[in-house]
Amino acid sequence: MTIRIDTTINGDRMEIDVDPTLTLLEVLRENLFLSGTKEGCGVGECGTCVVLVDGEPVTSCLVLAGDGDGANLETVEGLAQNGELNEVQQAFVNTGAFQCGFCTPAMVLSATALLRDNPQPDEEEVKKALGGILCRCGAYPKILEAVIEVTGEGA
Amino acid sequence: MKRLKDFAYQEPTTLDEAVAALAEGGDTARVLAGGTDLIVDLKIERLLTTAVVNIKRIPGLSGIDDLGEASRIGALTKVTDIEASTLVAERHPALSQAASILASPPVRALATIGGNVGRASPASDLGPALIVLGASARIRGTGGDREELVEALYTGPGRTSLACSDIITDFIIPKPAAGCGSAHVKLGKRGSGTDIAMAGAAASVVIAEGVITEGKIALASLGPIPFRATNAEEVLRGRPAAEETIAAAAEAAAGDASPIGDIRASASYRTTLARVLTLRALRAAIASSREVVA
Amino acid sequence: MTTYVGSRVARVDSVDKVTGHAVYGVDVALPGMLHGAVVRSPHPHARVVSIDISAAEKAPGVKAIVTGKDFPQLFGSAIKDQPFLAIDRVRYVGDPVAAVAATSEREAQYARDLIKVVYEELPAVTDMRLALADDAPLVHPDMHTYQRGGHDIVPHTNVNTLYRYERGDVETAFAEADFVFEGEYSAHALSHVALEVHVAVAEYDEYSGDYTLWVSTDRPFFLRDDLAGGLGVDGSKVRLKVAQVGGSFGAKGVPIAEAIAAVLARKTNGRPVKVELTREECLIASQLRVPAIMKLKTGVTKDGLMIGRSADVLWDSGAYTAYTVGVAIRGSQTIVGPYRIPNLKILSRQVYTNKGITGSYRGYGTTQVTWACESQMDEIAHELGIDPVELRLQNGYEEGDSYLNGQIMHGVGLKETVEVARDEIGWGSIDRQPAPHLRRGKGIATMIKPTMTPSSSNVVINLGGDASVQVICAAPEIGSGQDTVLAQMAADAVGVPIEDVSVPATDTALTPYNGPVASSRTTYHMGSAIVSAGAEIKEKVLALAGDFFGVDSEYLEMRDGEILDEDGERLIGLKDLLAKFHGEGFSLTAGGRYSSAGSPLLKADPGEEWISSIFWMFCTQAAEIEVDTETGAIRVVKVAASADVGKAINPMTCEQQIEGGVVMGVSNGILEDFKIDNGRIENASLADYKVATIQDSPEIVPILVESIHNEAPYGAKGIGEPAAAATPPAIGNALFDAVGIRIPDLPITPEKVLDALAAKEAEDL
Repeated sequence: MTIRIDTTINGDRMEIDVDPTLTLLEVLRENLFLSGTKEGCGVGECGTCVVLVDGEPVTSCLVLAGDGDGANLETVEGLAQNGELNEVQQAFVNTGAFQCGFCTPAMVLSATALLRDNPQPDEEEVKKALGGILCRCGAYPKILEAVIEVTGEGA
Repeated sequence: MKRLKDFAYQEPTTLDEAVAALAEGGDTARVLAGGTDLIVDLKIERLLTTAVVNIKRIPGLSGIDDLGEASRIGALTKVTDIEASTLVAERHPALSQAASILASPPVRALATIGGNVGRASPASDLGPALIVLGASARIRGTGGDREELVEALYTGPGRTSLACSDIITDFIIPKPAAGCGSAHVKLGKRGSGTDIAMAGAAASVVIAEGVITEGKIALASLGPIPFRATNAEEVLRGRPAAEETIAAAAEAAAGDASPIGDIRASASYRTTLARVLTLRALRAAIASSREVVA
Repeated sequence: MTTYVGSRVARVDSVDKVTGHAVYGVDVALPGMLHGAVVRSPHPHARVVSIDISAAEKAPGVKAIVTGKDFPQLFGSAIKDQPFLAIDRVRYVGDPVAAVAATSEREAQYARDLIKVVYEELPAVTDMRLALADDAPLVHPDMHTYQRGGHDIVPHTNVNTLYRYERGDVETAFAEADFVFEGEYSAHALSHVALEVHVAVAEYDEYSGDYTLWVSTDRPFFLRDDLAGGLGVDGSKVRLKVAQVGGSFGAKGVPIAEAIAAVLARKTNGRPVKVELTREECLIASQLRVPAIMKLKTGVTKDGLMIGRSADVLWDSGAYTAYTVGVAIRGSQTIVGPYRIPNLKILSRQVYTNKGITGSYRGYGTTQVTWACESQMDEIAHELGIDPVELRLQNGYEEGDSYLNGQIMHGVGLKETVEVARDEIGWGSIDRQPAPHLRRGKGIATMIKPTMTPSSSNVVINLGGDASVQVICAAPEIGSGQDTVLAQMAADAVGVPIEDVSVPATDTALTPYNGPVASSRTTYHMGSAIVSAGAEIKEKVLALAGDFFGVDSEYLEMRDGEILDEDGERLIGLKDLLAKFHGEGFSLTAGGRYSSAGSPLLKADPGEEWISSIFWMFCTQAAEIEVDTETGAIRVVKVAASADVGKAINPMTCEQQIEGGVVMGVSNGILEDFKIDNGRIENASLADYKVATIQDSPEIVPILVESIHNEAPYGAKGIGEPAAAATPPAIGNALFDAVGIRIPDLPITPEKVLDALAAKEAEDL
């Protein structure tokens, strides 16, 4: 069985036929080859599968494909435009806010969403917003530094 | 990674269609709201299902409204929206605080209040807050609509009095009277938030001229369901809103608790937490009684 | 003079990683690819009576099913004790028994659940102390028949490693000491929790007999040889292509998904098979840190001089030894710490138990023994009334000191690491009680770590006609930034801009042999090989330039892609120079090799040279913590973390390692805690196995100490492994400073803290 969903992904509107028992994460990675979104646990506990749904970071492993219908989805692949990194991506590069990079798409997306809603978050707000994404490499200090750098409040 | 097993999937657009689909699906039909518990339970095979009924296409089930003498929160309202609501923060601080520490931000952005209550986890964060706020749930079932106190819904770990075909549509929370305050605290293994409660406590108080005329305390992860600590509440009644009173109530709350030992904490540690968290919740509730918008 | 070495160069993998373009092992997808699923033992110890695959064979999409009978070989590092799939018995909950390949992962998992295995349960031993008992069930009754290396075992017992070390006369030292301290400490099982799960894609060519695997590993050649050995073929018949690695920390070196993918691929008519473990499988059935129980006894004079130490260390390898034999031997030596102690006696035993496999974990035994060593150091200091910092400075190694085997140590920045950490944390002053229920304290811990010795690295550097440089080597980027530091060293060694340098992905069929990306050895070893190959490339280019300009090349230099004359004036750009040869095509290669074998630096007392390390690493951490005396919860407020890195090739990547090490150390020390009942892990999820989040991450101040190592490339040593070890004891010692209690058994949980506080209160009354 398939259902048709009408969705916008990184600005491209598309109608796709999907198996409704797949998760949004599986659709993105396997049907659409957007493998920048990672799966670290499959049950909402590590945060590496975060994508933006209507601007909000959500764990895409817990969303069924059908809920992609009518949604505006953003994945890490959509952040850089015309070969230019967005300001969060650029700050991650400048500060070295990643190591293995596996959580980076989720971190970058979540930080981007935070800064859209709240362009001047303090450190506690940044930590709270990113508190659901694990980084086993422990890049946290530099991730925090990167997000604060974007606010212009960094040293 | 673990894949979901096959199931039938439906997206009804009216409550009646959804109730009918659930009634037809029987014991193994499941309501899909936020999905943050259901998808996990299906993946780890704690639950089995043959039919998933996604109710998010039904209009009118989300939103936070001021009804004058009460607040209404639609069952599909996301936890992040409750967390962000100034109405909830001003009137019902316990619920606002519980919403702000439930799981993690990308999970809160999916999870719904109806799903959280319906899942009936003993470790529920919203449950104790709703209980002390005197919230009730409005329910649509095969027999029509009814309203029940949230505290009466819980019957056991993961179990409620709801029938398979029942759908919670919204929650009604009475507007607090003057001198009311409430608060919620929990402790997970990570002290930082983003965690499951080893124990949780919510409290609400009504204070008149320095005396607690009514106090409610509800506990989570300290028994099979989120429940009222009735002996502790008894201690509060008619006593001054002072440290001595709340210390005595906290002691009583430890007695009201009937925790089990599990992978998250031992029973004796939980009993200690019942006392400490009740103390902290009461302190915060009393402090908020001066700020709550009645 | 260097252009890139020593600078905070942005990581060369930056753009790929922030845009999501980096391809990890889990992202590999090939045409016709099948997916695997694994049947695992529900019992800690059982005989496999029968396996019925008839229903699974008929399930939709199923292409192959394998069981242990199909591959009766054993593999392993020091002891070949592990089957690809259980042959006749299962030895831990999660031991693989059978595997299915199907056209989709869902079909594979569905079919997997149809395989019926009948077990006959056997008595299990799941406690390492009980495993030593005379009547303990034997996990491997045939251990004495297995192929193994030169280390000692105790046949017909569970002891798979027996190691003793003695120096001087420890009993006399204890008799002469003014004080003798004795304690027992334990370090628990930990999961590496690399966020990328274990995964492999394998393909088998039945005509040539060649296996090709796409893997996510930190030690390609070790893994290749382990696999080839188990499959009964030469190493060259197994080709590993390494994708980006989503974290390793020591986990991704032994065949896990790889073994199962390879055996499935034998039966799929050439179709590739992907085996991707679930997170739950990673937690129960990949690898864990080796748990250890450490009895430590130290004799000191009344003024704090350490004169003797004995240690009795028991390690729990779990069901198979994997890389743990080395952990048990190397790790137990390190329990002496970075201290001059003339009289030593070490007994190290490792036992099999019916629990999950353990292995190397960031530090290779160092995290366990540092906990014991540094906890006891603090006890000694407090008992003698000596400042814990001073006790370490008094006994700590200095440049030119002898290691316990007589090796003269070089590049020893230990004391400076202690001093800078002490200063940064504000040692000696504290706001003790910021709130009625909160108490603060500060603690310090230091550590020493050797690197794998001897070992070798090889590289081929290619200079293309477009002046691009490829550094061809088998050093996969596991996240620690080695592609960047190798590119920096290559850019300076050859004399080209770093933008023109690339480090292609590892492919064991193309990249020359390298030891593992482990033991903090890559910068030093591969760096040395790169410096030598790079110098050769530069020499050849300058010879070309000399011919072209009619000058002796000795008077020429190349830097950042420019050919310079003896006055440093630019003669020509490298690109322009090479353009002269375009007609005939151009490529210039040089090989570089470095091996620490035979280095004069390793000289030691006769028979003990093998204990020497080509370089020694030192890290010190000072922590400030806050204890909630009502709940027992600990918040780590700040950690000052210093590391002697030799020379920081890239200060930013060094800081990354230190900061990441501290975060991991905090997580290991106070959060991560497996609940194991009769060998069964009951909290096999990231919801209940707590890994530190950004909200648990303290303020961390990384401080680099550079005690230049003369034999090293640009003076650099290593940093990745030692960074996590000192954190838990620094926290534990801060706990004592805050509230006067010690928790000898890791992790330091709120419950243990509260119990200890209650016990102390009762005692004080």
